This record gives sequence, C-alpha cells and structure tokens, in this order.
Amino acid sequence: MRMWIYVVRRIALLIPVLVGVMTITFALVSAIPTSERIASYYPANPRSNPSSPTIACPSNPSLQCPNPAYKVAVHALKLDQPIPVQWGYYIYNALTFHWGFVSQTSTVGKGYGGLPALKGDAVTSVLAAFLPYTLELALLSLFFVLIISIPLGNLAAVNRNRPIDQGARVMSFSGYALPGFILGSLVLMAAALWLAGGKATSPICTNSTAFLEFYGSWPSPNCWMWGPGLTSYGYPTWLINTYQSTPTGFPTIDALIHGDGWLALDTLVRIVLPALVIAYGTIALLLRFVRNSMLEVMNLDYVRTARAKGLPESRVIKKHAGRNSLNVTITVLGLTFAFFLSGFPVIESVFNLYGVGRIFAFSLVQSGGTFDFGLIFGTTILFTYLVVAANIIVDILYAYLDPRVRLG
Amino acid sequence: MIAQVPTGRGRWRARLDDLKRTWYFFRRNTLAMVGLAILLFFAAVFIYGYVYPAPSTSAVNYCATDGPPPGLCSPTAPIVCTYPQGSASPGPGCYQTPANFNNFIPPTFSLSPLALGPLPFGSLVAPDAGGTAVDQGHFFNLYDLLVKGTDWSITISVSIVVTGAVIGLVLGAMAGYYGGLIDEVLMRLTDIFLSIPGILLIIVIVIAGREVGIGGFTDDVILVTLAFIVTWWPTYTRIVRSQSLVVREQKYVEAARASGAGNGRILRKHVIPNSVFPVFIQMSLDVGTVPLVLAAIAYLGFIIFPSQLIPEWGSVAAASTDVIPSLFQYCSTVSGACVIPWWQILFPGIALFLFAISVNLLADGLRDALDPRLRR
Repeated sequence: MRMWIYVVRRIALLIPVLVGVMTITFALVSAIPTSERIASYYPANPRSNPSSPTIACPSNPSLQCPNPAYKVAVHALKLDQPIPVQWGYYIYNALTFHWGFVSQTSTVGKGYGGLPALKGDAVTSVLAAFLPYTLELALLSLFFVLIISIPLGNLAAVNRNRPIDQGARVMSFSGYALPGFILGSLVLMAAALWLAGGKATSPICTNSTAFLEFYGSWPSPNCWMWGPGLTSYGYPTWLINTYQSTPTGFPTIDALIHGDGWLALDTLVRIVLPALVIAYGTIALLLRFVRNSMLEVMNLDYVRTARAKGLPESRVIKKHAGRNSLNVTITVLGLTFAFFLSGFPVIESVFNLYGVGRIFAFSLVQSGGTFDFGLIFGTTILFTYLVVAANIIVDILYAYLDPRVRLG
Repeated sequence: MIAQVPTGRGRWRARLDDLKRTWYFFRRNTLAMVGLAILLFFAAVFIYGYVYPAPSTSAVNYCATDGPPPGLCSPTAPIVCTYPQGSASPGPGCYQTPANFNNFIPPTFSLSPLALGPLPFGSLVAPDAGGTAVDQGHFFNLYDLLVKGTDWSITISVSIVVTGAVIGLVLGAMAGYYGGLIDEVLMRLTDIFLSIPGILLIIVIVIAGREVGIGGFTDDVILVTLAFIVTWWPTYTRIVRSQSLVVREQKYVEAARASGAGNGRILRKHVIPNSVFPVFIQMSLDVGTVPLVLAAIAYLGFIIFPSQLIPEWGSVAAASTDVIPSLFQYCSTVSGACVIPWWQILFPGIALFLFAISVNLLADGLRDALDPRLRR
C-alpha cells in the first residue's frame, strides 16, 4: 500500500492505545482519596483551603462545619459525577494537556535547599521547563550509544570468537548486570575523589567566577561550592528565579547564546558522566543485537557471491554488509529510547541533575509519606506519549526503508 | 520411514537420555558452567539464609562507643568498640574510625572480645527506621543483611517470574491459537501495557495500592510483587502468542484435530508444551533482571528497608547510597579526613551483579545446549 496510507493507519492505531493507557492511569488515580486529589489537581487558592472537607466553624470555632470551598472544588473537578463521566473528562483533560497543578503541600524542587518550591504551578509548565535538561542528557547518551555500539558490534561480528568479540561480550554482560545507580554512585565517588581528593583545594579548581556560577552535577569538590552568582547551596541563578533558562530552555544552548563559553562547557561537562553511565547500560543491551544482525547479514548469499567474485574482505564488509547498518541503526534508536525513559529518574537523582526524571523522583518522597500525584501521573503520561511517539516514528522509518512492511 | 515413538517405560528412558545429551552440550560451554557454579553458590546461601537469624533491631544494631563500654547505648545491645582517629585505642580489638564517622566501619575480621561476630563486609549506616535521616547512632552488619537478603530477593523474583509466565502461557496460547477477536483484544491490551515505561507503571501501581490501604509489613512486599506481575505479563504473553502462531500450523495439531481432539485438549497437550521453551529462556533472564529493577525502585524511595527490616538486596543498596550526598556535603565543609563508605555500596552491588550475570550465563548456555541446530 502507499506510504501515506500506512502512516494514517499507524496513527489511527495509536488512538485506542492512548485511550487504554489513560484508562489505566484513570483507574489508578481513582484510588486516591478525594482530599488529596483536590490538593493535587485544583489550582492553589491562597484565600481558602479547599482540600479539607470540614473547617472550623466561624460561628463556633470548636465545631467543624462543611467547607464550601471543598464542595466547589469537588464539583469543579467533576469528582461528584458517576465514574464513566469522570472517565470521559479525564481522557479529555489528559489529551488536552490539562494535567492539574503541583500539590499545595508539595516541597518538590527543594532539594538541598535554595530552589523555589513549585507548588501551585501547572504540571505541564513545570514539566516543560525541566524537559530540555533531560533531552540534552538523552541526546548526549544517544550519541554515545550510536558511536560506540554500532562500530563495536560490527567489529565483534567480523572478528567472531576472537578477543574483541569476547571483550564485547563481557562488556555486554557487565553493563546489563550492574544497576544504574550503583555504577553511577561509584563513578561519582571516583570522580569526586579524583577532582578534590577530599581536600580543600585541588589542581582542577579555578577561581573564575563564570566557571563557579553553576552548581549541579557532582557533589562538591570544594572549589565549586561557593562563589558569587551562587546561592548558599550553589545553584545557578536561572534555576532560582524562574527555573527556566532563556531563551530556548536548553541550558547549554542558552549559555552559548549568552556568549558564556565557560558556562556552556560547564553544563556540558556535568552531563558527560551521567550520559556515559546511561550509555554503558544501553550499549550492553544493544551490542549483542548489533553483532547478531551483522552476523546474519554476513552469511547471506549476496555476500558470499561478493567474496566468490574475489573482492577483498574489507570491501565486502563495507559495501555489502554495511548497507544493513541503516536498518540496524533505526532499531537501535527505537530500542534505546524506550530504555532511556525508564532510567532517567535514577541517574538524574544520583548525579543531582534537574530534569523531568528528577522532578518525578522528588514527587515520590514528599514528607509525611504523601506523594505529589499531579506530577507523578503527569510524568507517567508524558513518558508514555514519548514512547508511543518514538514507536510510531520508528515504524514509519521502517516502512519507508523496507517496502515489505508497507505491503504486509 | 516413521520414527518409533517410545511408549511406556521406554518413554522415560528416552527423556533421560535426552537430558543426558543436553547436559553433555551444556558442560562444554565454559561460561555457562561458570554461571551454574555461581548460581549453585547462591542456592547454598539461600539455604543458609533460611536458617540464619532474622535481622532485628536489638540484635543487629551494634552500638559503637568511643571507648570501652558501658557507653551511650542500652546495656542489652551488643557493643562494638570503636575510637576516633587521633586518640589512643582503649583496648585490644577496638578499631579506629574516621573522626565524626563513628559507625562507618570498613570490612574487618577482628573485633573487641565483647562484640558478636566480625564485619566481613563492613558496616551499613542507613537511614533510621523512620526513613528520614541518616541515623549515625546505629549500624547494621552488612554480612547479615546480604545473607538474609538472598532469601528475600530470590523468593520475590522467582514468584514474580513464575506467576507472570503462567499468566502469559495461558493468555498467549489462547490468543495465538484462537486468533480473531481474542487475539486482537489481547494484542491491544499488551500494547497498552507495554507503552507505559516499566518502572513508572510499577511505581504508580504501588502508589495506588498504598492509597487504597494496602500497607504494612508483608503487604508491602505483596504489593510490590503484584505491581511487578502486572508490568511483566505482557512480555510473556507476546512470546507465547508468537510461538503458538507457529505451533498451530504444525501437522501434529492438524492430526490431533482430525482425530477428534477438542480445542482445550489441543491447547493443553500440544500448544502450551511447545511454547514453553522461549518462555523458559525469558524466565531465566528475568529472574536476574527483577532484583535490578527492585533496586532502582528502592532507590527512588520505595524502600522496604530498614523500616521493615526486609534486607532485600536492592533496598540495602539503595539505603547505602542514600548516605552519600549528605556525606559529601559534610565532607566539603570540614577539614580532616573524609570517609567514603565504598564497602556499603560495593558489596550489595556485587551481589546483584553476580546474581544477574550467573542467571544470564546459565540462560545463554541452556539456550545453546537445547538448540537443535547445535546438537549434532
């Protein structure tokens, strides 16, 4: 069938999947008590507190009267309607990005101090503000994954069962079997020790104020902790004032736009280590896949013909087997993306980065054991959208490259 | 020529011979034998952990003092003698800890005569039972925790994997065999579940479960197990479905139908047994993966240790990394030696790592040994 018919069909299949995902999250959200849902999904109102059903009676403070603001909030959130109606409103809100507000009791954002509490802000704007940081991390990790796994997998396939292959196999196993946060913690400790050596000064520290303006990824080598332009905990000013860097929202690009080369380098350096840790785990999964598909191609007839014609081996590999690599690359991209999305909360927490995953992690550890439901479910739906979008893009790319997929 | 199918006692003989041949092929794979050896070691620790005393606050919380006891602790708690750097040792067997970090004890085998047992893996300083602050007044013996944790980790992950596999076998076989509407519905359902990233789905299920009121000691473990099963079943269902699509076109299924077998019988006797192989491989891989995912979830805050003293490996690893950020903050503002408790991160990590690797190697070896193309 024609290409656009395939695309339309593929996108049409997306709707029931999205509705199904929303239904699952709806079922889980419905389990939350009403008062907490109001705290999470109703905009903050400084005049009255709508999230408790009763308040001290104005006429007699020792009595509890029904809270009119509570009833208003319940009605506004449609929580007094029958379940199917609620489901309909929920699906509509989820698809139109009305995902509620950061809980009024939330302390999300107050990491080691100094960040503004984000309470009362819309969930979508919070996620949109922190998403670029995660995307920077994802792109850098993707870059590392691509430049390492595909050449290494090809090498391993070509030198089958020789030391390179065995080494790649060991790397694959070790990356797969080590939990991300443990590898991250060990790397972090090694880096901090190397940089600061537990002492107050080290050869790496500089006194440049631009270089010092940013605190973030690594627990302190002392030199990066204090300095002008920092708050007492060393967070950058853009994170304090508006939690969004201007104008694009991507910290590295914005630093370059502002002409601050040191800051841009600093931002980049802070995400190199986490990107490497993420890439290591992902490469472990994909290396065997790349190697096996390369092996399959090398046994095909047309490669055998090329060899029989007398072509040198290097040319056989480059010209004939190498054509397969586009297909492999796209599959690698698709699998990588889905794997990434699950791992970011952990890595961002370990390396003290401020992306969507970190916000998610914060919203899970509110004091008193409560959670910030708006952010939790908002992040889940956002990541689901991203996974679904990535799958569709990969499928369409496949269909473009391989006509058999379109016709099937 | 029609091959003779052995019947009666000869059937079991044939199966035994098959097993012996499989073992022969397996034995020739060195890495797989290494995996098997490590796994047997874990099995031994599992049995040992069963009879090992459970970690409890009074017996495990060693109380470190800065000199010979009696110190600041209750007289019934076992006491380990530590002394800070820069001062003299108060007695034989007392050992030196860095200043301000009395309870960060590196792996050691010699303790004061008043103490109970060595600390071969060092100490674990963890958040206190409330889970809020790092409690430097008490520490755990990491060795106890890892031994007992073997039990918990293996039990939890085996139950998750087996339940998921059973659900997947039943649903996937039905979907693949019957086809049509059942197949479509089930495929959409697995699509939906697979679109939500795994960790996030597990977390929101645990949250919803806690809100509904499932909480408390064993309930927490059960809740986490259920959340994992709900996340894992689509994988098995897909595997079984694709396998049963192949099986239902085979001649023996046609023959069974021709001789009057009903659908149920065909499913039970032909489709499901022939779909077991890839499920089995996936199961063995997942048994190694589940503790890693449990560790990630524990790190994000769904920790069941030490508040409930369930020293599952992942929870122990997460509790041990919790202390690192505050350590660094502290280290940077004071001068003097800074201790980095590498042992409390490394050893749980090694346990998880060895377990996952051994299971992975074993599964690889089994797959190669059972592959008909390699058994010449």
